[in-house]
Amino acid sequence: MDRRIVITGIGVVTPIGIGCEQFWTNLLEGKSGIAPVKSFDTSAYHVHRGAEVKEFDAEQYVLNLDAAHLGRASQFAIAAARLALADAGVEIGSLDRKRAGVSMGTTSGEPREVERFDDAYVSKNMDRIGPEFLELYPCHVIAAHVASELNFAGVNTMIPTACAAGNYAIAHALDVMRAGRADLMLAGGSDAFSRITFTGFARLGAVAPEICQPFDRFRKGMIPGEGAGVLVLEPLDRARRRGARIYAEVAGYGLSCDAHHMTAAHPEGAGAERAMRHALADSCTNPEDIDYISAHGTGTATNDRLETIAVKRLFRDEAYRIPISSIKSMIGHTMGAASAIEAAVCALAVFNERIPPTINLNDPDPECDLDYVPNFARKLRVNVAMNNAYAFGGNNASLILRKRELLN
Amino acid sequence: MIANRVVVTGVGVISPLGDTPARLHDSLCRGLSAIKPIKLFSTAGLGCPLGGEISDFDATKYLGQRNLRPLDRTSRLVTSAAQLALDNAGWSIEMRNDQEVGLVLGTMFCSVHTISEFDRRALEAGPAYASPMDFSNTVINAAAGQTAIVHNLREVNTTISTGVTSGLEAISYATERIRSGRARALLAGGADELCFESFYGFDRAGLLCRSDNSAGDFPIPFDKRRNGSALGEGAALLMLEDVALARERGAKILGEVVGHGSSYDCSRGRESGQSIDAIASAVRQAMNDAFLLPHEIDCVSASANGSQTGDRHEAEGIRAALNGQTHKLPVTAIKSMLGETLGASGPMQAVALLETMRSGILPGILQLNEVDEDFPLELAQSDNQEADVINGLINSIGFDGHCCSLILSRGEA
Amino acid sequence: MSTDEIRANVKKSIAKITSISFDEIPDHASYKDDLQLDSLTILEIAVDAEYQFQVKLSDDDLGEIRTVDDTVRMVQQYLTPVAA
Repeated sequence: MDRRIVITGIGVVTPIGIGCEQFWTNLLEGKSGIAPVKSFDTSAYHVHRGAEVKEFDAEQYVLNLDAAHLGRASQFAIAAARLALADAGVEIGSLDRKRAGVSMGTTSGEPREVERFDDAYVSKNMDRIGPEFLELYPCHVIAAHVASELNFAGVNTMIPTACAAGNYAIAHALDVMRAGRADLMLAGGSDAFSRITFTGFARLGAVAPEICQPFDRFRKGMIPGEGAGVLVLEPLDRARRRGARIYAEVAGYGLSCDAHHMTAAHPEGAGAERAMRHALADSCTNPEDIDYISAHGTGTATNDRLETIAVKRLFRDEAYRIPISSIKSMIGHTMGAASAIEAAVCALAVFNERIPPTINLNDPDPECDLDYVPNFARKLRVNVAMNNAYAFGGNNASLILRKRELLN
Repeated sequence: MIANRVVVTGVGVISPLGDTPARLHDSLCRGLSAIKPIKLFSTAGLGCPLGGEISDFDATKYLGQRNLRPLDRTSRLVTSAAQLALDNAGWSIEMRNDQEVGLVLGTMFCSVHTISEFDRRALEAGPAYASPMDFSNTVINAAAGQTAIVHNLREVNTTISTGVTSGLEAISYATERIRSGRARALLAGGADELCFESFYGFDRAGLLCRSDNSAGDFPIPFDKRRNGSALGEGAALLMLEDVALARERGAKILGEVVGHGSSYDCSRGRESGQSIDAIASAVRQAMNDAFLLPHEIDCVSASANGSQTGDRHEAEGIRAALNGQTHKLPVTAIKSMLGETLGASGPMQAVALLETMRSGILPGILQLNEVDEDFPLELAQSDNQEADVINGLINSIGFDGHCCSLILSRGEA
Repeated sequence: MSTDEIRANVKKSIAKITSISFDEIPDHASYKDDLQLDSLTILEIAVDAEYQFQVKLSDDDLGEIRTVDDTVRMVQQYLTPVAA
């Protein structure tokens, strides 16, 4: 069993495009998907902007199940899965379905279904919630629906580790494949825009009023978003045999737990640093080998400062050489999808030799004095990329992707 | 690469039938039932008024006097079970400073009650008055995160959510991490709380037992009269370690995780052939993983919970995986007494199985009287059985597709 | 409403949220130094006070709250109608 696992397909549903081509083009052009929230009335809130996915037609992607009986996060996940498989040129019918699996991450599952329940409860109209409710709201249905739609009967896992979930899900898929338990895995994350999430972050005072400006001196917070990202993972030998395009190798990962506070990171970025260290060790990579970092970069005062501290502590002088960008500046914080979409970006960066910018970075915070690729994309040969993600509950995860030419 | 062996050195359980493995096993062997009228919330207007509620659950009994406001019920269940497991395994705070311990938690809903309460308060009072503290518990990894903070667990912290199989999948995930050398000591298991928001879903889906059952409103796995399950709650965690570490520190070894397997039924329980095949696949994978043949399985702790189709699919799946060699195979189904505890179910079955291995007694299936035609598990019965169990199979099977199997071997004498 | 009444209600919120007994909460306590509370708990107390008194503090105000006195003062400020 080939233990080298590679990415052969990418599918994304994002606030700046559906499908990897449209998304990547818009990303490099620095387009923003942040706009006034449309999916619910925000007049009672003090903030009103979010990064919602526009013009998403579920019927286009949900072909076997009934899209009307799926929550939005499941619809996104299925769409991203189908896009990824098409991108990989995989003939779904040719797969051994018992060895095809799904590993997905999420922060909230299907919160809109819970919201519907709460609306009915508050208005004393529980009759509105029917027998199908149980199939809609527990978070595991996202991975389950992807598998049912595609007839994948292998490993099926949901890892809801909040804003780091995508990386956790990809890491799990990597382990499953290395253990020989699957020939193909769909791995990624999905989350839908929800009033619950928006209310919570707004109540914490974490939401920016206008734009997301990671690492900028005047940054005012994050912007909640939604979306999905799914990668097709295969063993290298199978990918080569079928002549697949190989974006990058999933070289390794590191996980850690702050065990410090539910919503605030460790004050010295210790957990974040440990996750990065474990990732480097796991992938046999040295700090000087890293060519690009996709930051967690939410745009909050604390995250961006602590993330900078963690990078400096680990990389020391190298920290000033490595370009680091936060795509949350463009697509907001897509929650459980974030690190999956960011992993896709790392794969695209490795493959296309370009890195996206951090937009709205006009006046860098003196405490964030690294190269955060301000405002313009760059051509860059990326042999090894690192993708970082940090979550509520203190869950930290770093993923390392490596260029295929480095595989012997 | 040689895989490390994964052993169980401690257990923590919070259940309506006991908060020690011995008490739980004793209750099961005495045929006590946790299923009773629910007090946690009103069941007016619902079809089923019963559940396996933990009456008077007080986390301060396990955690000492401390402010519990930041922890919701699920977090309290997990944090309490973790305290018990760490104590039982002899993992002191000092030891955890030198060797990091992690947590892999399986849960189907985690904090759906908190999510709903948070949302309802915002709806009724306005979003400005939503509770920030409740918001921090609306993420599904909240209970795992809270437990890590309380017990300083800084190794990997993962939450797995695969419905009913969540807890057993969490044990499988932790097992792989230790086998591969990524971790040395992990708490692994699951939890789910009883709450209106999850109960309502099951009730409306018609999955809960009804009072037209001649045995009362109780779940009777495998029985011809069965017409549904009863929801329960609880938390169960196993302390898993690589055997070298366990021996180094002189820990007692309660058992070993020797194999696991999982699969997904794309028909979600709707097509018998596919469902049975998926269950058999999970069992076979576990046996292959453990290098065991069918005749080497000494007993089964079934996932059966009173579901009309689910129980039958499981019985047939076991028959298929064991090549029909099931006539001398003792079988239990403890959900007959605990109810369906969702994320906690598989780990609770593991806790009970370890006690069976120690005591030689397999609990009977409460109220099991008459089975279906051609039922393949002859030793599924209502009486307790003597059983000399070296290798025990545990199944967790979801009502909507997930299948997971785990094989435990008896610990060193 | 008198300052003492506001203070008593704020202390009741603190007691409910932290399990510190009402009588053990000094009238002029610092949340962090005297009561060892973290930022999330301090925010929860402030939001609970807003809810009790049906006032809305701005994010800047919330960021300034360090002591029981701060909370009492802000509530008072928002409860007092602005002179025409």
